[in-house]
Amino acid sequence: MTRDQKIYRFAHWLACFIVAATFLSGYHKLLRPDDFALAVYRFHLLPDVWVNPVAIYLPWLEVGVAFCLLFVPRVRVAALWIALALLVLFTGGIAVNLIRGTAFGCGCFGASPAAKPMEWMNVARNGALVLLVFLALYGKRKSAG
Amino acid sequence: MGTTLKRAGMILLVSGVVAVVANTVHPRRIPWVQSWSNHVEARAREAGVRVMPLSVALEARARFVDARPREEFERGRIPAALSVPLGEWEDAFALLADLVESNGPMVLYCGNRDCDDALLLALEIQTFGGTNLFLYSDGFEAWEEHGGPVER
Repeated sequence: MTRDQKIYRFAHWLACFIVAATFLSGYHKLLRPDDFALAVYRFHLLPDVWVNPVAIYLPWLEVGVAFCLLFVPRVRVAALWIALALLVLFTGGIAVNLIRGTAFGCGCFGASPAAKPMEWMNVARNGALVLLVFLALYGKRKSAG
Repeated sequence: MGTTLKRAGMILLVSGVVAVVANTVHPRRIPWVQSWSNHVEARAREAGVRVMPLSVALEARARFVDARPREEFERGRIPAALSVPLGEWEDAFALLADLVESNGPMVLYCGNRDCDDALLLALEIQTFGGTNLFLYSDGFEAWEEHGGPVER
């Protein structure tokens, strides 16, 4: 393996680690599904019937993706593509609500009622995470030669 | 690409199975389908009452109106809140009418996220012209729990 390939591999691992850590830091959604369902409802983007299934499924999908990014190298690229899709969906949902005007937080990392309302900084943060996912995918491709 | 798609499908599927099992055994499990249109916040939106969470209520410069029963109000309240228990709102009609006349923002609250006394009071206030109405949906319990100032 050349020096460049080692650097690309390190960038790939680091980006995967940061994305996984970000997804895992939303663990409160697993502990309080009722609060997370309310957060999903407050986006006003889904029909009633989809709110709870999405609130039940999404946190486990995030954990599944994070687990694969950290511990299952064989499926890391697939997990990165799912992470990318999730981040695009989350960012779109936040942007739509910011344009509409909302007083509520995004519920991304905590369900406290004292959490600050969502803001464009949330979109910027997710944009940075999307770039990290692309970096991880690029690093994987380049490190493979 | 085909392999990546298959692997992504496996992650989606396994996560789904884990989610189903977890929600079955979770002490705080939620129903798979819930009528969100009956939720107090949905009813407020439908009625044109704007909803605010604790983070916004803590910063609000508005007149708070407490819709809880008088004895709960006496035990603790948001500072300078006006007590208008839902069942006795007609007794406070003159005060409420003055507030409506001034067109200043009114923030109504009750005990917690599940109560609807504050919303029902807002609907009564709308009948005599109240438009600048907000529902503080997290209620007094969250206010007190998260360190909001309390008057006793």
